[in-house]
Amino acid sequence: MAIEKVGVIGAGVMGAGIAAHVTNAGIPVVLLDIVPEGADNRNAVAERAVERLLKTEPSAFMHPGNAKLISAGNVEDDLARLGGCDWIVEAVIERLDVKQALYQKLASVAKPDAIFSSNTSTIPLAQLVGQLPEAFRRRFLITHFFNPPRYMRLLEIVAGVDTEPQVLEQIRNFCDIQLGKGVVACKDTPGFIGNRIGVYWIQYAVVAAMRAGLTVEEADAVMGKPIGAPKTGVFGLSDLVGIDLLPHVLASLEANLPAEDPFHDVSAVPDLIEAMIAEGFTGRKGKGGFYRLRRDGAERVKEAKDLTSGDYREARKPGLECLAAAKEGGLRALVEHSDRGGQYAWDVLSHTLSYAASLVPAIADDIVAVDEAMRLGFNWERGPFELLDELGPAWFRRQLETEERPVPALLAAAGEETFYRVEAGKLEYLAVGGGYRCVSRAPGVLLLGDIKRSSDPLAGNGSASLWDIGDGVACLEFHTKMNAIDQGTFEMIRTALALVPQKGLKALVLHNEAPNFSVGANLALAMYAVNIAAWSDLEDLVRSGQAAYQALKTAPFPVVGAPTGLALGGGCEVLLHCDALQAHAESYLGLVEVGVGLIPGWGGCTAMLERWAQSPAGPRGPMPPIMKSFETISTAQVSKSAVDAKRLGFLRPDDGVSMNRDRLLADAKRRALGMAEHYRPPEPFEVSLPGPSAKVALEMAVHGYQLIGKASDYDGVIAGHLAEVLSGGACDITEPVETDTLHDLERKAFMALLHEPRTLARIEHMLSSGKPLRN
Amino acid sequence: MPVYSPPVEDMRFVLHELVQIEHVVELPGYEEASREVVDAVLEEAAKFCRERLLPLNASGDEEGCRYDDGTVRTPTGFKEAYRSFADGGWTGLACDAAYGGQGLPGVVAVMVDEMLCASNLSFSTYVGLSHGAYNAITQHASEELKQRYLPDIVAGRFSGTMCLTEPQCGTDLGLIRTTAVPHDDGTFRVTGTKIFISAGEHDLTENIIHLVLARTPDAPPGIKGLSLFLVPKLALEPDERVGESNQVACSGIEHKMGIRASSTCTMNFDGATAHLIGGLHHGMRAMFTMMNAARLAVGIQGLGIAEAAYQGAVAYARERRQGRSLRGARHPDQPADPIIVHPDVRRMLLTLRAYSEGARALGAWVAKEGDIAARHPDPDVRAEAEEFIGLMTPVVKAFFTDLGFEAANLGIQVYGGHGYIRANGMEQYARDARITQIYEGTNGIQALDLVGRKLPADMGRHLRRFFHPVQRYIEQHRADPALTDLIEPLAKGFARLQDTTGWIAREAGRDPEQAAAGATEYLRLFGLVAMAYVWVRAAEISLRRLGGEDDGLATQGAAFYQAKVDTGRFFLERLLPQTSSLRLAIKAGATPVMKFDEESF
Repeated sequence: MAIEKVGVIGAGVMGAGIAAHVTNAGIPVVLLDIVPEGADNRNAVAERAVERLLKTEPSAFMHPGNAKLISAGNVEDDLARLGGCDWIVEAVIERLDVKQALYQKLASVAKPDAIFSSNTSTIPLAQLVGQLPEAFRRRFLITHFFNPPRYMRLLEIVAGVDTEPQVLEQIRNFCDIQLGKGVVACKDTPGFIGNRIGVYWIQYAVVAAMRAGLTVEEADAVMGKPIGAPKTGVFGLSDLVGIDLLPHVLASLEANLPAEDPFHDVSAVPDLIEAMIAEGFTGRKGKGGFYRLRRDGAERVKEAKDLTSGDYREARKPGLECLAAAKEGGLRALVEHSDRGGQYAWDVLSHTLSYAASLVPAIADDIVAVDEAMRLGFNWERGPFELLDELGPAWFRRQLETEERPVPALLAAAGEETFYRVEAGKLEYLAVGGGYRCVSRAPGVLLLGDIKRSSDPLAGNGSASLWDIGDGVACLEFHTKMNAIDQGTFEMIRTALALVPQKGLKALVLHNEAPNFSVGANLALAMYAVNIAAWSDLEDLVRSGQAAYQALKTAPFPVVGAPTGLALGGGCEVLLHCDALQAHAESYLGLVEVGVGLIPGWGGCTAMLERWAQSPAGPRGPMPPIMKSFETISTAQVSKSAVDAKRLGFLRPDDGVSMNRDRLLADAKRRALGMAEHYRPPEPFEVSLPGPSAKVALEMAVHGYQLIGKASDYDGVIAGHLAEVLSGGACDITEPVETDTLHDLERKAFMALLHEPRTLARIEHMLSSGKPLRN
Repeated sequence: MPVYSPPVEDMRFVLHELVQIEHVVELPGYEEASREVVDAVLEEAAKFCRERLLPLNASGDEEGCRYDDGTVRTPTGFKEAYRSFADGGWTGLACDAAYGGQGLPGVVAVMVDEMLCASNLSFSTYVGLSHGAYNAITQHASEELKQRYLPDIVAGRFSGTMCLTEPQCGTDLGLIRTTAVPHDDGTFRVTGTKIFISAGEHDLTENIIHLVLARTPDAPPGIKGLSLFLVPKLALEPDERVGESNQVACSGIEHKMGIRASSTCTMNFDGATAHLIGGLHHGMRAMFTMMNAARLAVGIQGLGIAEAAYQGAVAYARERRQGRSLRGARHPDQPADPIIVHPDVRRMLLTLRAYSEGARALGAWVAKEGDIAARHPDPDVRAEAEEFIGLMTPVVKAFFTDLGFEAANLGIQVYGGHGYIRANGMEQYARDARITQIYEGTNGIQALDLVGRKLPADMGRHLRRFFHPVQRYIEQHRADPALTDLIEPLAKGFARLQDTTGWIAREAGRDPEQAAAGATEYLRLFGLVAMAYVWVRAAEISLRRLGGEDDGLATQGAAFYQAKVDTGRFFLERLLPQTSSLRLAIKAGATPVMKFDEESF
């Protein structure tokens, strides 16, 4: 049975977010909540939730039109509408009686083969359905999403003793393939994996910082980047999720965990936090949290809470020596450092990691699940056992012994070994019963990381590498910092184009497993070249890029781009030259060059013209493609999802979207192989462009924006160059313009802009602050 | 005895025609520096150097400074010469009129400095350090300290020092141990030993103002914990000029290879009363004000020596007769021709001349930007000039002093065996020049500063201040057939510098040793290309003059301009090609230097 319609009960933050994300998979949702007392509109709660969803930033919907897929209702009048749903998710208040009563009703309205799940994060499954008939229990499980459901990849799934295996399998597959979640099987224990370890970590780190007299800035600087956690650290994270949420989670864990659990040592809510919540300082959603931004005239001053006095004061950059030591010597250097930051790091990490080690197999069958949960649910770069490997499990154990602290059995079992190892190119983990087992992947999951462990690249340099990913397909991987594009990238594109036929391969995929596909040209290098007036090198860089990208397009075999995350500027342009794209749903494409005072110079302008000229939907005539391209590029629009990228023309209507990034490469490979038979490269592009008259029209439009203050004087200069390119330069409508001519125009405009001081000021600002400058 | 006469003609050419100080004179505060005033200053300074300082150069070297129970006596004649110098207002030449200075632009002062250094390098150190102290106090001290000390420094009644080095700490200032303990009245008490302190003690002035880097009791470790203190030799009460002796004592002087008339002292501070300058723990910033000015000044010392060596060598080459011209006897009536006819001697003389004149022009460019940085009304223009100076400071310091020492060596070589004899004065230049490559940051440190700090600063933006004007100049003049033989070598050298700079930027990101291994060569490459640029501009102006063009700025006759063009061509064709091998050496990277097993040394 396929899941074609979903019911969500409870339109709070989680329920609404889940509903929105289900629509992102193209599936209609019935969203129900209670009838507010004395309301005229009995659906007000659920309807308001949908309105809120549309305003959420970052957006809960991959496309605003998805909101239409949600049909709002209330639990008194509309339960019957759940009768058409294949999966019904409960996300109501965390009260056992409420949930149980609801389940009773659901059992009577749902169709017989419907599946039920709860999004509870605290109540054990056994308690939830203990009183319910077996037929219900067989079709019930826990699906615990993390907030926000669209963006957090972790989905914890808990099956009860009675849950039918095929029910489990069906939900697992649906959430994995169609919702794109990283599904981790958990045991039916309080807080499952993520909250059990994550909340302990946050709480321990908060309490320990207060105890050791660290400032919030210091604590966050240590508990963030140096340990591979998000740079918010724990105080910044608390502000983000809401400080008032913590006592609830703590209370529930405290109530449900066995008395001997170390959690109880840290579960008391500090007075300061109680006071903050009472006064409405609940974090970003409230009056402020551990940090706040205070407006001081036009300036915004970042302030931090003094943990002793409870007052706000101007935020200070932490000057701990352990941070520099960590940069040099890694995690071990951090926890071994003698300053208070180093001691704090050891205190928090040693407790958190031993806690995690003591919980396997109680909360999960293996360490892989625990690491996966912490990576996907808390955005840690490495899970607890990977961190232990980095510190050295034996060293860690000896430290615990020295401090006369208990050593978890699993840690003792590791002995002098590590939790993970690579054997014959395969990643293995230490199993609970001893011995190593292969880390297995679900069918349809292909990870470049696995391929890289087990083979050597076909070719490679400092910027990119070419891998054989099997079945006659090669994968070109970018791997510079932020995957910035440079001459090395172009060199490897040329190499790949030569090697693919030479090695008897049939197709090429552009893909990498970094968080972002590519942030575009290496601006720092380009800026350096500008500073030393290396104009011919820069012109050569533009030419090389145009030639390399064009060669991808004209190659005698299919080239499929498979992006995830950001693909900006030159990183977007390379995708525009692929024969097809298979994009991760969370792909943010954009030609953002104007933000740094430039225009796309590696064929991006030309490619956009071609996209819109060939778009079956667009109106006919020479102007619409020019206007569309101009609008998108001159306003530096970035798609908010892969679907949104179709609207902007970065993806073609028939390009593919993969919800789960672990499946992206396999999907792209399949697409490439599908195209490889009888493949013919696209016809050379030529287009009739109106020339100067069109340019005047575009410039007038920009002038209009300038008059209303929406474009700066210099925006106008840049737009003028863009208009020159998109209108075809000095051409006239009777002579079709070819790609080469358009590339020449792009290059001329690009080089001219590089000579402009205001462009250089924009680039410098972007490089130093990461934000665009509007000058 | 060596001959030296300040090259006033070339200085006027550089000031009026090449860097065109008429633009500097337009800056607020420099209005007084008319062409007449500037020319008169150059003439008077030249006269003073020729008549008062040059005669003391050899005798001062011979006699040296003498230490006696805490006091230091400068060589015979120094005291009198210094008094005349101060009385003539020379100590305040480039100082603010508000403190009694003459208020002349730095670009003029740099010419006078060169004359001082060429005629008597030892004497110039006393003057130079006082000016360094003037800069640091002007920019970082409280108004009260400024009022109390600057007028006397400007008038030459007080002199200054920079007290950084300690027995255990030279280049690495983070190792400084001298302490400064706060006192109830807001002053500090400084205790510690400083060594190699130039002009630390002497008999030229009434008082000596020591600027001392020290560490306060709870300061963070390393250079971040250093503060700068003003410690007068004679402690002053607010209302008196010269007071009681402070707890500062000179416990001895060094016996040195060169600049023997400059006193190099060991200074003991024993709870000396001190005033904080430039904020607690901001000592390095304040020190760098002094240091940067001092580094540029040391570069000018190199230039001075090079010019003196050149003039000495030319005089000797004209009179010394040995052998015959390869084209047959030029003076058949004489037993031999003067050695100036020989190609290799001419090579040496032209090398000396090309480096001296090139360094003068380049130094003037940097000094002019210094005036702009100090006085221009537009803060953006000031900031750009500041970036240019920051970039060029290590180049001027190290490149000019290397050239100074090379020049002194060549000067000796032209003299042959007589160059090795003390009485002829040439060997003193080599001994005096040698320290300039070492103090104020060794030339190796300058190279690291250029490659490790100045190149990457602000994503290379500082480089723009040099590369863009040069590139623009090349583009603008490339099409002019009359200039082809000048522009093309410059363009080639410039392309080598661009290529190497880009290479370093890329490599340094991956491995800092890649850049550091070739830093010294890179600095020289940079210096040569910068010099090539000013040479081409000087030659271009001279060609225009020879072609009859006069924009009212011409200062010289045809022979001068012809010599300029010919020397410029010599530089471009014979000296600039070094850039080619330097580039190769730099791009060999770290391996040839770092691979060698340390045990095998």
